[in-house]
Amino acid sequence: MAKEYEPKIVAFLCKWCSSAGSDLAGVSRMVYPPNVIPITVMCSGSVSPLYIFSAFNKGADGVLVSGCHPGDCHYIQGNLYARRRIALVKKMLEFIGLEPERFQMSWVSAAEGTKYTQIIKDFVEELKPLGPQTKLRRNL
Amino acid sequence: MVRVEDIKKEAKKALEEEKVKYIIGYEKGANGVLPIPAFIKKPEDIDRIIWDPACVYNLSRFLLDEKRSKSKEKEPDERPVGLVVKGCDSRAINVLIQEKFINREDVYIIGISCENTGVLDEKKLAKKLKGKQPEKTEFGEKDKFIIKTKDGKIEIPAEEILAERCLECKANFPVVYDVLFGEKVKRPLENPFKSIEKMDSLPKEEKWAFWKEQIDKCIRCYACRSVCPMCYCDECVADTISFAVTADTTAEEKAQKIKWIEKSPVSSENFVYHLVRAIHLAGRCIDCGECERVCPVDIPLRFLNKKLEKEAKELFGYEVGFDPDQPSLVSCFKDEDPEDFIR
Repeated sequence: MAKEYEPKIVAFLCKWCSSAGSDLAGVSRMVYPPNVIPITVMCSGSVSPLYIFSAFNKGADGVLVSGCHPGDCHYIQGNLYARRRIALVKKMLEFIGLEPERFQMSWVSAAEGTKYTQIIKDFVEELKPLGPQTKLRRNL
Repeated sequence: MVRVEDIKKEAKKALEEEKVKYIIGYEKGANGVLPIPAFIKKPEDIDRIIWDPACVYNLSRFLLDEKRSKSKEKEPDERPVGLVVKGCDSRAINVLIQEKFINREDVYIIGISCENTGVLDEKKLAKKLKGKQPEKTEFGEKDKFIIKTKDGKIEIPAEEILAERCLECKANFPVVYDVLFGEKVKRPLENPFKSIEKMDSLPKEEKWAFWKEQIDKCIRCYACRSVCPMCYCDECVADTISFAVTADTTAEEKAQKIKWIEKSPVSSENFVYHLVRAIHLAGRCIDCGECERVCPVDIPLRFLNKKLEKEAKELFGYEVGFDPDQPSLVSCFKDEDPEDFIR
């Protein structure tokens, strides 16, 4: 029997909120798809567009950038800078014809374990019909 | 009507008064109709300067080289550099001042208004002349260009051979200058983002097919990077040079050095390079169109930059190059920035 396609998601989670949120989901034993590879960064504002392109380049089917809610940022405004930058990256990726569903951003606070699991569940459901991401994948 | 004699007179005066170190302008090229940059240090050489519709280059790029060479001198000459600029080039200077890369007093700006026209596109001209070699170009009356060939003069309406970026130019006169030639007249412009909107309306598979075909052509010559007045990083992420491999370099050190982008000109790496290049120019590109012009394989690079210019305008109300005091696009935010895409 052929195995069902499982998308691979790279999630850039900020250390202070989203990472703690995913941790909460873990310690509370909430069930969510194991397709996500979390990478903790210090702030969503520190996610360079290059990280995102590079993740797609190295084989991610979807990329998630997650930070604190506006106003809750540990560095006061890092997530607001991120919001602007990510909006541009998203428009750019859509412009060259990548499916817009493949790149998402979310606000997840340290208390929102359920929201985090829900985001991952939705993300995986959206990625499954798209199939593997081959457009930007490295193929040397 | 801009007269080249006036420009020469002003430039000569600046050189004689020793107000400027040297003047960077345009002079007749050795081959074909395109001029070459002229570096004029003595007042008696001033007659080399020309001004015609083929003066396409963005000379503000030389300010970067100027800054670099100045930083190496022991006793640098602190006088400004005289620079001949068009509308688009003057916006590039504004961005460089905004980013504090240069100071306003480092450059003496000789601004020239394009006055209802702009500069020509060499390819469009060649098509128009059907194989005839142009020898000289001139600005004519009533927004026409006069092209001289062996068989005599031809008058062509400017609209027909103007460069694409000139057709979508928002301000075809310098926005910052010390002296200005020509009138500040604005060419009527319906929609500065017409070409982008057409592209945006395509379905995503067609967009992908278009860009895949274009980006696949890239040979990674980095001409787009070399010519861009905004690409001034000492080290580019696309080809890191600071990691010196010596006899003592261990395999582990080599392995741990992050290689963001492979140098091989294959589709996937080209995409990362061009996306990064475009994102780095978000809110900085002033649409001088030089990247597209120098591209040896004709990738429509201007589209990528223009797209981000459009988004900056529509999402954040940000316009590039008009105000050197505003914060740059990605180093500021507003509370009302859109966040409908965020979950």
